[in-house]
Amino acid sequence: MRTKRTTMVIAIVLSAGLALAACSSDSADTTAAPVETEAAVAETEAAAVETEAAAVETEAAAAETEAAAAETAAAAAGGDLTKLAADCTTEGQVNLIALPDEWANYKGILQSFRDKYPGVKNPVANPDASSKDEMEAVKTLAGQKDQPDNVDVSPAIAQEMVAAGMFEPYTPTSAGDVPASLKDPAGNWVGSYYGIMAFLVNTKIVPNAPKTFADLLKPEYKGLVALNGDPRESGAAFAAVMAASIANGGSADDILPGVKFFADLKKSGNLGGTDVTKATMVAGETPISIDWSYNLPGIKADMETAGFTTALAYPTDGVYGGFYAQGVVKGSPHQACGKLWMEHILSDEGALGYLGGGAIPARFEALVAAGKVTEEAKVNLPPAELISKIAFLTPAQITAAKDVLAKEWGPQVADA
Amino acid sequence: MAAMSSETTVNNRMNLLGRFGRLGPILVVVATALFFVLPLLAMARFAFQSVPMISLGWSTLFKRWSFEGVTKAFKDEEFRTALGLSLRLAAGTVALTLALLVPTTLWVHVRIPKARTFVEFLTVLPYVIPPIALVAGILPLKPHARWFLNSNYSLIPFYAVLALPFTFRSLDAGVKALDVKTLVDASRSLGAGWGTTIRRVIVPNIRSAIVSASFLTAAVVLGEYAIARTLLKRTLPAFMQQYQGREPQGGMALALAALVGTTALFALLSVLTRPRRAREVDEPATTTVTRQAMA
Amino acid sequence: MRRDRSWLGLVPLLLFLFLFLIVPAVSVFQRALTDNDGNLGTKALKDAFTGQNFDAFEFSVRLSAQAALVGVVIGTLLAYAASVLRRPRWLRSVVTSFSGVAANLGGIPLAFAFIALLGRQGLLTKILDGLFGFELYGGSFTLDSTWGLTTVYSYFNVPLMVLITLPAIDGLKASWREACSNLGGTSWTYWTRVGLPVLAPSILGGFLLLFANSFSAYATAAAISQKSLIVPLRIGFYLRGDVSANEDQLGFSLAAWMIVIMAISMGLYWILRKRAERWQR
Repeated sequence: MRTKRTTMVIAIVLSAGLALAACSSDSADTTAAPVETEAAVAETEAAAVETEAAAVETEAAAAETEAAAAETAAAAAGGDLTKLAADCTTEGQVNLIALPDEWANYKGILQSFRDKYPGVKNPVANPDASSKDEMEAVKTLAGQKDQPDNVDVSPAIAQEMVAAGMFEPYTPTSAGDVPASLKDPAGNWVGSYYGIMAFLVNTKIVPNAPKTFADLLKPEYKGLVALNGDPRESGAAFAAVMAASIANGGSADDILPGVKFFADLKKSGNLGGTDVTKATMVAGETPISIDWSYNLPGIKADMETAGFTTALAYPTDGVYGGFYAQGVVKGSPHQACGKLWMEHILSDEGALGYLGGGAIPARFEALVAAGKVTEEAKVNLPPAELISKIAFLTPAQITAAKDVLAKEWGPQVADA
Repeated sequence: MAAMSSETTVNNRMNLLGRFGRLGPILVVVATALFFVLPLLAMARFAFQSVPMISLGWSTLFKRWSFEGVTKAFKDEEFRTALGLSLRLAAGTVALTLALLVPTTLWVHVRIPKARTFVEFLTVLPYVIPPIALVAGILPLKPHARWFLNSNYSLIPFYAVLALPFTFRSLDAGVKALDVKTLVDASRSLGAGWGTTIRRVIVPNIRSAIVSASFLTAAVVLGEYAIARTLLKRTLPAFMQQYQGREPQGGMALALAALVGTTALFALLSVLTRPRRAREVDEPATTTVTRQAMA
Repeated sequence: MRRDRSWLGLVPLLLFLFLFLIVPAVSVFQRALTDNDGNLGTKALKDAFTGQNFDAFEFSVRLSAQAALVGVVIGTLLAYAASVLRRPRWLRSVVTSFSGVAANLGGIPLAFAFIALLGRQGLLTKILDGLFGFELYGGSFTLDSTWGLTTVYSYFNVPLMVLITLPAIDGLKASWREACSNLGGTSWTYWTRVGLPVLAPSILGGFLLLFANSFSAYATAAAISQKSLIVPLRIGFYLRGDVSANEDQLGFSLAAWMIVIMAISMGLYWILRKRAERWQR
């Protein structure tokens, strides 16, 4: 009892300090508001046109209208971009997190940002962090100057962050080119790129690469299969389990067969148990990695230096595509830069950067229509017929899948 | 033979047993020595040879050895930041610990000797609350003390708590070896105040205890992971864990440097604090303190 | 009167411990007993001992006991060897110095060391396969199984045991051994009737200490495994919301139980240590 009261006294005394800190951050927010409202007004115009053609694979004509509308909107909001850039140069830095160099060519995208806006730093904390880690970092580092300004998370985590009010809604100027399935209706996040699940195979260690999920169970692959993390935390692992589920009689509504597949894989000893990172790939520890297809081009050079050859196999029995959501963090230290980064990844430079890495940029159709995509830029892309099969999960499906994973992944796979 | 005393016979018999019985103990020592050295060798091979284990064989055994991994790691900016932070935290923790415990230990010995067991008990408490439980308790307090816990230096008092068993034991042993009461009385009667007494009379005499307490504290701080990871502070161990994912060889090299470095530091400490007087215990300070601290 | 004011000298230490040890500990228990709506109840504490959480405690206790047992056996043997072998005269001091160092090693670097040695791409794994044809990972062995972790934990458990037992073994007076054989006893009788009973408090105390040490190890386990069956790791997962969202209270309950277990182990250890000291005077 006495301890509780003492704790309360301490709490009261120290709350004064908190209140002081809170007061100062409030004023920073109000100055950011005017810039936003103008951008938002420009966006509603583009959005009105866009709602009429909202599928992932739109006709070229519809894409053209979108592009045209977006261009006028962009022109109207163009002045804002210059102001945003100026504000950002004053801030000097955008705190990023969990963007590995070899992931969808983030190395190139980070560099092109620095080239476009000299004087603005873009340090990346904890590149191997999972989406869950990103959310935790935003929470734990709240009020600190190293809190991430921008996150790049799986749709499942984006859902949680929206529910917790962790995003600062912002609609970038080129968001008009982005299909509705790739952006949040309230403007909390935008999915700037997407890809397909594939097997990244080290063909020196595994000359006979698996072609389907069923293949993975073969005894010759004992100890060689690996996931990119834990599906309860990482978007890539979540997608892998979903893809496995589709290959084993499940569907976007039912992830349980996928969990069971990995339980079998673990029981037979085929599931290696090490999480995939660039390090494990290059060391040959994870010769068969179930990961996004756009994660291979970035490490190819290092693999070859280590003496390995690589191959990409798209499993024919389980085609699954997913995107990552990027958004500005509410109350983060560098708001203008956070928004500028959003602008950059959706800009032509950003989109072409993703393309080079083998991911499909959200504005792909618009870029193609504008003739900005060369044949050689498309070399790392997955086959078009697979891209056409992609259907992103709805929020309800994501929630259902998360619940199943929370309940079943531990006992059936992780701790088995 | 028969003329020898029974005692010698006993000794001979025991020596005979001893000679065959020596094999067992020797095997144990050799086996454990191997056990402790092999991991370090494995680390060195991984860190300094760029040949993946799959391709390692007799033909490739001597190829592609280089220090590239280490140099790259040491040049990494984040490494320097993390190292700097950890070193500053270590220095701060040592300072806080000494400032708190030297006067306290002295006070206990001089004024309230009966409280020694109570204070010993207090210094065992940190064992009962392991770091992960401690940080679990810190998290709910975050909203109340945000201005404090946001700072990296808020780790210092918690690290001082974790190191408390070692530091108290070390200083306690050091002070116990002196005839503190006499020293203090003599100093005070010659007109010195408490500050001067501590500074010029006591501290020089417990120098080895202070040094070993400092080294042990530094070791605790440089290796602490649970609290730093949960509060997302970018200390050296947290950095090493992340870095390994990106640069496997560099990360391993850093870890090897950490292990070898700690061992070297402790070896240095053992040499520095080797007892010079006959009546002191015949073992280096780290051993004494670690042994006594585990209580 | 004077004595009362002397105790004031302890205030800084007491205040320090209060703020940075007691308050967090109390908050753990407070959060374990209060649910999201602010009601008090022991439901979470009970839930922390059921289902997956119970499995975690069972695994961790089993692991810690195993690691402690291995540490006790090897540590005692090593301490005995160091005490008995007089010929390489530097042997004893090397063993004691090294034990003083190694007992404080651990954490991330140690985990990396064993991954390099016994991981899937480990040096020893490769040697065993290449030279002896023995596939370490052919069965159910992984570095984060109980045996794998026991091996890793032994790196600091064995030295710790040496440090605890060596004084006790030194305390076994040679005269006792002589008396025993003079009275017609053999080595076996000596050990079972004299040696082990005298060493028993130290050995049991050492077991408890190693148990507590292994049970609370976080850094080493975290670098090797993501298994949520290890209680400290599991608490970490709960704290980060990785097991299930909004189940904070369970996480704190796990931490509370962990504190209880540690308190019991350390309490018993303290008692045994005091008994052991009797023989060393």
